[in-house]
Amino acid sequence: MESVFWWSIVVIVYVYAGYPLLLAAWARLTARTVPKADIGTARDWPALSILVAARNEAARLPARIANLLDLTYPGRREIIVISDGSTDDTVAAVSSFLSTTRASSRVRVIEIPAGGKPLALNAGAAAADGEILVFADARQQFAPDALVQLIANFDDPRVGGVTGELLLDCESAPSGNESSVADGVGVYWRYEKWLRRQESAVWSTLGATGAIYALRRSLWKPLPPDTLLDDVLAPMRAVLAGYRIVFEERALAFDRVSPNGAAESRRKTRTLAGNYQILAQEPRLLVPVLNPVWLQYVSHKFGRLLVPWALVGLFISTVVLAETSWVFASALAAQLGFYGLALAGAVMDARERHHSSGRAELPVALGKGMS
Amino acid sequence: MEAVRKLTRIAFTFVMMNYAAVVGLVALRKGREVWK
Repeated sequence: MESVFWWSIVVIVYVYAGYPLLLAAWARLTARTVPKADIGTARDWPALSILVAARNEAARLPARIANLLDLTYPGRREIIVISDGSTDDTVAAVSSFLSTTRASSRVRVIEIPAGGKPLALNAGAAAADGEILVFADARQQFAPDALVQLIANFDDPRVGGVTGELLLDCESAPSGNESSVADGVGVYWRYEKWLRRQESAVWSTLGATGAIYALRRSLWKPLPPDTLLDDVLAPMRAVLAGYRIVFEERALAFDRVSPNGAAESRRKTRTLAGNYQILAQEPRLLVPVLNPVWLQYVSHKFGRLLVPWALVGLFISTVVLAETSWVFASALAAQLGFYGLALAGAVMDARERHHSSGRAELPVALGKGMS
Repeated sequence: MEAVRKLTRIAFTFVMMNYAAVVGLVALRKGREVWK
Protein backbone atom coordinates (compact mmCIF):
# COMPACT_ATOMS: atom_id res chain seq x y z
CA MET A 1 0.00 0.00 0.00
CA GLU A 2 2.94 2.32 0.60
CA SER A 3 3.91 2.00 -3.07
CA VAL A 4 0.38 3.08 -4.05
CA PHE A 5 0.81 6.15 -1.85
CA TRP A 6 4.17 7.13 -3.29
CA TRP A 7 3.26 6.40 -6.91
CA SER A 8 0.12 8.49 -6.53
CA ILE A 9 2.21 11.37 -5.17
CA VAL A 10 4.68 11.03 -8.05
CA VAL A 11 1.92 11.13 -10.69
CA ILE A 12 0.12 14.15 -9.20
CA VAL A 13 3.26 16.16 -8.52
CA TYR A 14 4.78 15.36 -11.93
CA VAL A 15 1.65 16.26 -13.90
CA TYR A 16 0.96 19.55 -12.12
CA ALA A 17 4.45 20.71 -11.15
CA GLY A 18 7.25 18.53 -12.51
CA TYR A 19 6.15 18.65 -16.14
CA PRO A 20 5.53 22.42 -16.16
CA LEU A 21 9.01 22.99 -14.69
CA LEU A 22 10.58 20.65 -17.23
CA LEU A 23 8.67 22.37 -20.01
CA ALA A 24 9.68 25.85 -18.87
CA ALA A 25 13.36 24.85 -18.89
CA TRP A 26 12.96 23.09 -22.26
CA ALA A 27 11.26 26.12 -23.83
CA ARG A 28 13.96 28.42 -22.47
CA LEU A 29 16.74 26.28 -23.90
CA THR A 30 15.30 25.34 -27.29
CA ALA A 31 12.54 27.81 -28.15
CA ARG A 32 11.75 27.68 -31.86
CA THR A 33 10.36 30.96 -33.08
CA VAL A 34 7.97 31.18 -36.01
CA PRO A 35 9.07 33.52 -38.85
CA LYS A 36 5.77 35.35 -39.17
CA ALA A 37 4.68 37.49 -42.08
CA ASP A 38 4.96 41.23 -41.51
CA ILE A 39 1.36 42.24 -41.05
CA GLY A 40 1.92 45.82 -42.14
CA THR A 41 3.48 44.93 -45.50
CA ALA A 42 1.50 44.50 -48.72
CA ARG A 43 1.61 40.85 -49.79
CA ASP A 44 -0.54 38.03 -51.01
CA TRP A 45 -2.52 36.68 -48.11
CA PRO A 46 -3.92 33.16 -48.47
CA ALA A 47 -7.63 32.72 -49.11
CA LEU A 48 -9.59 31.70 -46.04
CA SER A 49 -12.65 29.59 -45.49
CA ILE A 50 -14.16 30.32 -42.09
CA LEU A 51 -16.33 27.43 -40.87
CA VAL A 52 -19.08 28.00 -38.32
CA ALA A 53 -20.95 24.84 -37.34
CA ALA A 54 -24.23 25.77 -35.69
CA ARG A 55 -27.38 24.18 -34.41
CA ASN A 56 -30.29 26.39 -33.40
CA GLU A 57 -28.23 29.57 -33.29
CA ALA A 58 -30.67 31.97 -34.92
CA ALA A 59 -30.23 34.48 -32.11
CA ARG A 60 -26.44 34.61 -32.23
CA LEU A 61 -25.48 34.10 -35.87
CA PRO A 62 -26.26 37.54 -37.34
CA ALA A 63 -23.92 39.24 -34.83
CA ARG A 64 -21.36 36.51 -35.29
CA ILE A 65 -21.31 36.82 -39.08
CA ALA A 66 -21.11 40.61 -38.80
CA ASN A 67 -18.09 40.15 -36.52
CA LEU A 68 -16.38 37.80 -38.98
CA LEU A 69 -17.07 40.12 -41.92
CA ASP A 70 -15.70 43.13 -40.04
CA LEU A 71 -12.35 41.55 -39.18
CA THR A 72 -9.28 43.05 -40.75
CA TYR A 73 -7.94 40.71 -43.41
CA PRO A 74 -6.43 41.84 -46.71
CA GLY A 75 -6.90 38.50 -48.49
CA ARG A 76 -10.03 36.76 -49.75
CA ARG A 77 -12.33 35.18 -47.21
CA GLU A 78 -15.52 33.17 -47.33
CA ILE A 79 -17.73 32.30 -44.40
CA ILE A 80 -19.47 28.95 -44.45
CA VAL A 81 -22.24 28.44 -41.91
CA ILE A 82 -23.22 24.81 -41.55
CA SER A 83 -26.62 24.37 -40.00
CA ASP A 84 -26.55 20.97 -38.30
CA GLY A 85 -30.21 19.99 -38.31
CA SER A 86 -31.39 23.27 -36.82
CA THR A 87 -35.05 23.30 -35.87
CA ASP A 88 -35.25 27.02 -35.18
CA ASP A 89 -34.92 29.90 -37.66
CA THR A 90 -31.14 29.62 -38.01
CA VAL A 91 -31.11 29.61 -41.81
CA ALA A 92 -33.81 32.27 -42.11
CA ALA A 93 -31.99 34.49 -39.61
CA VAL A 94 -28.77 34.27 -41.59
CA SER A 95 -30.57 34.90 -44.89
CA SER A 96 -32.37 37.86 -43.40
CA PHE A 97 -29.10 39.31 -42.12
CA LEU A 98 -27.37 38.77 -45.46
CA SER A 99 -30.11 40.67 -47.28
CA THR A 100 -29.04 43.74 -45.31
CA THR A 101 -25.33 43.54 -46.11
CA ARG A 102 -23.34 44.07 -49.29
CA ALA A 103 -20.95 41.29 -48.28
CA SER A 104 -23.53 38.55 -48.71
CA SER A 105 -21.58 36.95 -51.57
CA ARG A 106 -18.86 36.04 -49.06
CA VAL A 107 -21.23 33.98 -46.90
CA ARG A 108 -22.67 30.58 -47.70
CA VAL A 109 -25.11 28.50 -45.69
CA ILE A 110 -25.14 24.73 -45.89
CA GLU A 111 -27.95 22.72 -44.32
CA ILE A 112 -27.34 19.14 -43.27
CA PRO A 113 -29.42 16.68 -41.25
CA ALA A 114 -28.58 16.62 -37.52
CA GLY A 115 -25.45 14.56 -37.15
CA GLY A 116 -23.22 16.43 -34.74
CA LYS A 117 -20.41 18.90 -35.09
CA PRO A 118 -17.86 16.56 -36.74
CA LEU A 119 -20.18 15.90 -39.68
CA ALA A 120 -20.99 19.59 -39.91
CA LEU A 121 -17.29 20.44 -40.10
CA ASN A 122 -16.74 17.70 -42.66
CA ALA A 123 -19.46 19.22 -44.83
CA GLY A 124 -18.00 22.70 -44.42
CA ALA A 125 -14.46 21.60 -45.22
CA ALA A 126 -15.67 19.71 -48.29
CA ALA A 127 -17.36 22.85 -49.57
CA ALA A 128 -14.44 25.16 -48.74
CA ASP A 129 -12.04 26.45 -51.35
CA GLY A 130 -9.73 28.55 -49.18
CA GLU A 131 -6.15 27.53 -48.64
CA ILE A 132 -6.62 27.87 -44.90
CA LEU A 133 -9.59 26.69 -42.86
CA VAL A 134 -10.50 28.87 -39.88
CA PHE A 135 -12.73 27.34 -37.22
CA ALA A 136 -15.10 29.46 -35.18
CA ASP A 137 -18.16 28.91 -33.02
CA ALA A 138 -21.39 30.87 -33.07
CA ARG A 139 -21.05 32.26 -29.57
CA GLN A 140 -17.66 33.95 -29.29
CA GLN A 141 -16.42 37.16 -30.87
CA PHE A 142 -12.98 37.69 -32.42
CA ALA A 143 -10.75 40.72 -31.88
CA PRO A 144 -10.52 42.92 -35.02
CA ASP A 145 -7.00 41.72 -35.94
CA ALA A 146 -7.49 38.07 -34.95
CA LEU A 147 -7.36 36.73 -38.52
CA VAL A 148 -4.17 38.48 -39.60
CA GLN A 149 -2.48 37.50 -36.35
CA LEU A 150 -3.45 33.85 -36.90
CA ILE A 151 -2.64 33.66 -40.59
CA ALA A 152 0.73 35.47 -40.43
CA ASN A 153 2.15 32.29 -38.85
CA PHE A 154 1.49 30.27 -42.02
CA ASP A 155 4.46 31.98 -43.70
CA ASP A 156 6.45 29.22 -42.01
CA PRO A 157 5.89 26.05 -44.08
CA ARG A 158 6.41 23.91 -41.00
CA VAL A 159 3.33 25.43 -39.39
CA GLY A 160 0.29 23.28 -40.11
CA GLY A 161 -2.08 25.08 -37.80
CA VAL A 162 -2.41 28.00 -35.43
CA THR A 163 -4.52 28.26 -32.33
CA GLY A 164 -5.57 31.63 -30.97
CA GLU A 165 -6.11 32.66 -27.39
CA LEU A 166 -9.56 32.41 -25.86
CA LEU A 167 -10.05 35.03 -23.16
CA LEU A 168 -12.71 34.24 -20.61
CA ASP A 169 -14.51 37.00 -18.73
CA CYS A 170 -13.46 35.41 -15.43
CA GLU A 171 -9.78 35.91 -16.22
CA SER A 172 -10.00 39.67 -16.01
CA ALA A 173 -12.38 40.00 -13.05
CA PRO A 174 -13.02 36.65 -11.35
CA SER A 175 -14.20 38.18 -8.08
CA GLY A 176 -16.97 40.06 -9.80
CA ASN A 177 -18.13 37.03 -11.74
CA GLU A 178 -21.38 35.45 -10.62
CA SER A 179 -20.37 31.96 -11.80
CA SER A 180 -19.35 29.66 -8.93
CA VAL A 181 -16.59 28.17 -11.07
CA ALA A 182 -15.13 31.49 -12.21
CA ASP A 183 -12.20 31.42 -9.77
CA GLY A 184 -11.32 27.77 -10.43
CA VAL A 185 -11.73 27.90 -14.19
CA GLY A 186 -9.88 31.21 -14.34
CA VAL A 187 -6.86 29.74 -12.55
CA TYR A 188 -7.01 26.53 -14.57
CA TRP A 189 -7.35 28.28 -17.93
CA ARG A 190 -4.44 30.66 -17.27
CA TYR A 191 -2.31 27.68 -16.23
CA GLU A 192 -3.42 25.69 -19.27
CA LYS A 193 -2.61 28.55 -21.68
CA TRP A 194 0.81 28.96 -20.07
CA LEU A 195 1.49 25.27 -20.77
CA ARG A 196 0.37 25.70 -24.38
CA ARG A 197 2.63 28.70 -24.81
CA GLN A 198 5.63 26.65 -23.64
CA GLU A 199 4.65 23.62 -25.73
CA SER A 200 4.29 25.84 -28.76
CA ALA A 201 7.75 27.29 -28.17
CA VAL A 202 9.29 23.81 -27.86
CA TRP A 203 7.59 22.55 -31.04
CA SER A 204 3.82 22.25 -31.04
CA THR A 205 0.73 22.54 -28.89
CA LEU A 206 -1.25 19.32 -28.35
CA GLY A 207 -4.44 20.55 -29.91
CA ALA A 208 -6.21 23.82 -30.48
CA THR A 209 -8.89 26.01 -28.98
CA GLY A 210 -12.10 25.13 -30.82
CA ALA A 211 -13.31 28.71 -30.61
CA ILE A 212 -10.42 30.07 -32.67
CA TYR A 213 -7.98 28.09 -34.73
CA ALA A 214 -6.79 27.69 -38.29
CA LEU A 215 -5.48 24.71 -40.23
CA ARG A 216 -4.07 24.25 -43.72
CA ARG A 217 -6.87 22.76 -45.80
CA SER A 218 -4.40 20.26 -47.30
CA LEU A 219 -4.02 18.75 -43.81
CA TRP A 220 -7.72 18.32 -43.16
CA LYS A 221 -9.06 14.78 -43.09
CA PRO A 222 -12.76 14.06 -42.54
CA LEU A 223 -13.53 13.43 -38.89
CA PRO A 224 -15.21 10.24 -37.64
CA PRO A 225 -18.86 11.12 -36.90
CA ASP A 226 -18.61 10.35 -33.19
CA THR A 227 -15.53 12.54 -32.61
CA LEU A 228 -15.74 14.42 -29.32
CA LEU A 229 -12.70 16.67 -29.69
CA ASP A 230 -12.46 17.83 -33.28
CA ASP A 231 -10.10 20.58 -32.16
CA VAL A 232 -7.63 18.05 -30.79
CA LEU A 233 -7.96 15.30 -33.39
CA ALA A 234 -7.58 17.50 -36.48
CA PRO A 235 -4.53 19.43 -35.18
CA MET A 236 -2.86 16.30 -33.77
CA ARG A 237 -3.17 14.60 -37.14
CA ALA A 238 -1.17 17.52 -38.55
CA VAL A 239 1.41 17.13 -35.78
CA LEU A 240 1.69 13.39 -36.50
CA ALA A 241 2.30 14.34 -40.14
CA GLY A 242 5.31 16.42 -39.05
CA TYR A 243 3.80 19.91 -38.79
CA ARG A 244 3.64 22.32 -35.89
CA ILE A 245 0.55 23.75 -34.29
CA VAL A 246 1.54 27.07 -32.76
CA PHE A 247 -0.13 29.20 -30.13
CA GLU A 248 -0.71 32.80 -31.22
CA GLU A 249 -1.55 34.82 -28.16
CA ARG A 250 -2.26 37.96 -30.20
CA ALA A 251 -5.18 36.30 -31.99
CA LEU A 252 -7.95 36.80 -29.48
CA ALA A 253 -11.45 35.43 -29.08
CA PHE A 254 -13.72 36.35 -26.18
CA ASP A 255 -16.15 34.22 -24.22
CA ARG A 256 -17.91 33.78 -20.90
CA VAL A 257 -17.14 31.09 -18.35
CA SER A 258 -19.73 28.36 -17.68
CA PRO A 259 -22.46 29.74 -15.42
CA ASN A 260 -22.16 27.08 -12.70
CA GLY A 261 -20.54 23.84 -11.64
CA ALA A 262 -23.08 21.62 -13.36
CA ALA A 263 -22.51 23.22 -16.76
CA GLU A 264 -18.74 23.17 -16.31
CA SER A 265 -18.88 19.54 -15.20
CA ARG A 266 -20.80 18.55 -18.35
CA ARG A 267 -18.30 20.42 -20.50
CA LYS A 268 -15.36 18.87 -18.73
CA THR A 269 -16.86 15.36 -18.86
CA ARG A 270 -17.13 15.67 -22.61
CA THR A 271 -13.57 16.97 -22.91
CA LEU A 272 -12.06 14.22 -20.81
CA ALA A 273 -14.13 11.51 -22.48
CA GLY A 274 -12.71 12.92 -25.69
CA ASN A 275 -9.19 12.56 -24.36
CA TYR A 276 -9.85 8.87 -23.80
CA GLN A 277 -11.54 8.53 -27.18
CA ILE A 278 -8.67 10.11 -29.07
CA LEU A 279 -6.30 7.42 -27.84
CA ALA A 280 -8.48 4.87 -29.65
CA GLN A 281 -8.80 7.11 -32.73
CA GLU A 282 -5.06 7.83 -32.95
CA PRO A 283 -3.08 5.17 -31.04
CA ARG A 284 0.07 6.59 -32.68
CA LEU A 285 -0.08 9.33 -30.04
CA LEU A 286 1.27 6.86 -27.48
CA VAL A 287 4.13 5.59 -29.67
CA PRO A 288 7.32 7.64 -29.08
CA VAL A 289 8.80 7.16 -32.55
CA LEU A 290 5.57 8.14 -34.29
CA ASN A 291 4.57 11.13 -32.19
CA PRO A 292 6.98 14.11 -32.34
CA VAL A 293 5.45 15.47 -29.13
CA TRP A 294 5.16 12.15 -27.32
CA LEU A 295 6.67 13.28 -24.01
CA GLN A 296 4.46 16.38 -23.93
CA TYR A 297 1.39 14.34 -24.84
CA VAL A 298 1.96 11.68 -22.20
CA SER A 299 2.84 14.26 -19.54
CA HIS A 300 0.02 16.69 -20.27
CA LYS A 301 -2.97 14.96 -21.84
CA PHE A 302 -2.46 11.38 -20.68
CA GLY A 303 -1.29 12.60 -17.28
CA ARG A 304 -4.58 14.44 -16.75
CA LEU A 305 -6.37 11.13 -17.26
CA LEU A 306 -4.16 9.44 -14.67
CA VAL A 307 -4.49 12.10 -11.95
CA PRO A 308 -8.07 11.22 -10.87
CA TRP A 309 -7.03 7.61 -10.32
CA ALA A 310 -3.92 8.78 -8.46
CA LEU A 311 -6.14 10.93 -6.22
CA VAL A 312 -8.27 7.88 -5.42
CA GLY A 313 -5.15 5.79 -4.79
CA LEU A 314 -3.71 8.50 -2.55
CA PHE A 315 -6.85 8.75 -0.49
CA ILE A 316 -7.33 5.00 -0.02
CA SER A 317 -3.67 4.42 0.79
CA THR A 318 -3.58 7.19 3.41
CA VAL A 319 -6.78 5.91 5.05
CA VAL A 320 -5.20 2.45 5.33
CA LEU A 321 -1.77 3.72 6.44
CA ALA A 322 -2.77 6.69 8.63
CA GLU A 323 -2.15 4.89 11.91
CA THR A 324 1.30 3.68 10.92
CA SER A 325 3.10 7.02 10.52
CA TRP A 326 2.59 10.76 10.97
CA VAL A 327 3.47 11.18 7.28
CA PHE A 328 0.38 9.29 6.15
CA ALA A 329 -1.76 10.80 8.91
CA SER A 330 -0.75 14.31 7.78
CA ALA A 331 -1.44 13.46 4.16
CA LEU A 332 -4.89 12.19 5.13
CA ALA A 333 -5.61 15.32 7.16
CA ALA A 334 -4.53 17.53 4.26
CA GLN A 335 -6.79 15.66 1.86
CA LEU A 336 -9.76 15.79 4.23
CA GLY A 337 -9.24 19.53 4.56
CA PHE A 338 -9.06 19.98 0.80
CA TYR A 339 -12.10 17.82 0.09
CA GLY A 340 -13.96 19.63 2.86
CA LEU A 341 -13.29 22.90 1.05
CA ALA A 342 -14.44 21.34 -2.23
CA LEU A 343 -17.63 20.13 -0.55
CA ALA A 344 -18.26 23.62 0.77
CA GLY A 345 -17.72 24.87 -2.78
CA ALA A 346 -20.26 22.35 -4.08
CA VAL A 347 -22.81 23.53 -1.52
CA MET A 348 -22.19 27.16 -2.50
CA ASP A 349 -22.59 26.23 -6.15
CA ALA A 350 -25.88 24.44 -5.49
CA ARG A 351 -27.19 27.39 -3.46
CA GLU A 352 -26.18 29.92 -6.07
CA ARG A 353 -27.79 27.85 -8.79
CA HIS A 354 -30.94 27.65 -6.72
CA HIS A 355 -31.01 31.39 -6.19
CA SER A 356 -29.83 32.16 -9.68
CA SER A 357 -31.73 34.92 -11.35
CA GLY A 358 -31.98 32.75 -14.42
CA ARG A 359 -28.78 33.47 -16.23
CA ALA A 360 -28.95 31.33 -19.36
CA GLU A 361 -26.67 28.32 -19.39
CA LEU A 362 -24.13 28.38 -22.15
CA PRO A 363 -23.85 25.44 -24.46
CA VAL A 364 -20.66 23.43 -24.45
CA ALA A 365 -18.11 25.10 -26.68
CA LEU A 366 -15.03 26.68 -25.29
CA GLY A 367 -13.64 23.55 -23.78
CA LYS A 368 -13.13 21.91 -27.09
CA GLY A 369 -9.74 23.48 -26.79
CA MET A 370 -9.48 23.46 -23.05
CA SER A 371 -9.10 19.75 -23.04
CA MET B 1 -13.14 35.75 4.02
CA GLU B 2 -12.87 36.44 0.30
CA ALA B 3 -9.65 34.39 0.17
CA VAL B 4 -11.37 31.40 1.80
CA ARG B 5 -14.29 31.72 -0.57
CA LYS B 6 -11.90 31.81 -3.51
CA LEU B 7 -9.98 28.78 -2.22
CA THR B 8 -13.26 26.93 -1.73
CA ARG B 9 -14.29 27.59 -5.31
CA ILE B 10 -10.91 26.54 -6.68
CA ALA B 11 -10.98 23.29 -4.64
CA PHE B 12 -14.51 22.58 -5.89
CA THR B 13 -13.51 23.16 -9.51
CA PHE B 14 -10.39 20.97 -9.19
CA VAL B 15 -12.33 18.05 -7.69
CA MET B 16 -15.16 18.47 -10.18
CA MET B 17 -12.71 18.41 -13.11
CA ASN B 18 -11.09 15.21 -11.90
CA TYR B 19 -14.46 13.63 -11.16
CA ALA B 20 -15.43 14.51 -14.74
CA ALA B 21 -12.55 12.39 -16.06
CA VAL B 22 -13.97 9.33 -14.34
CA VAL B 23 -17.54 10.09 -15.43
CA GLY B 24 -16.27 10.71 -18.97
CA LEU B 25 -14.61 7.31 -19.13
CA VAL B 26 -17.72 5.57 -17.82
CA ALA B 27 -19.92 7.47 -20.27
CA LEU B 28 -17.65 6.58 -23.15
CA ARG B 29 -17.59 2.90 -22.22
CA LYS B 30 -21.36 2.82 -21.94
CA GLY B 31 -21.70 4.65 -25.23
CA ARG B 32 -23.65 7.47 -23.63
CA GLU B 33 -23.98 10.72 -25.50
CA VAL B 34 -21.60 13.27 -24.07
CA TRP B 35 -21.55 15.71 -26.94
CA LYS B 36 -24.80 16.33 -28.76
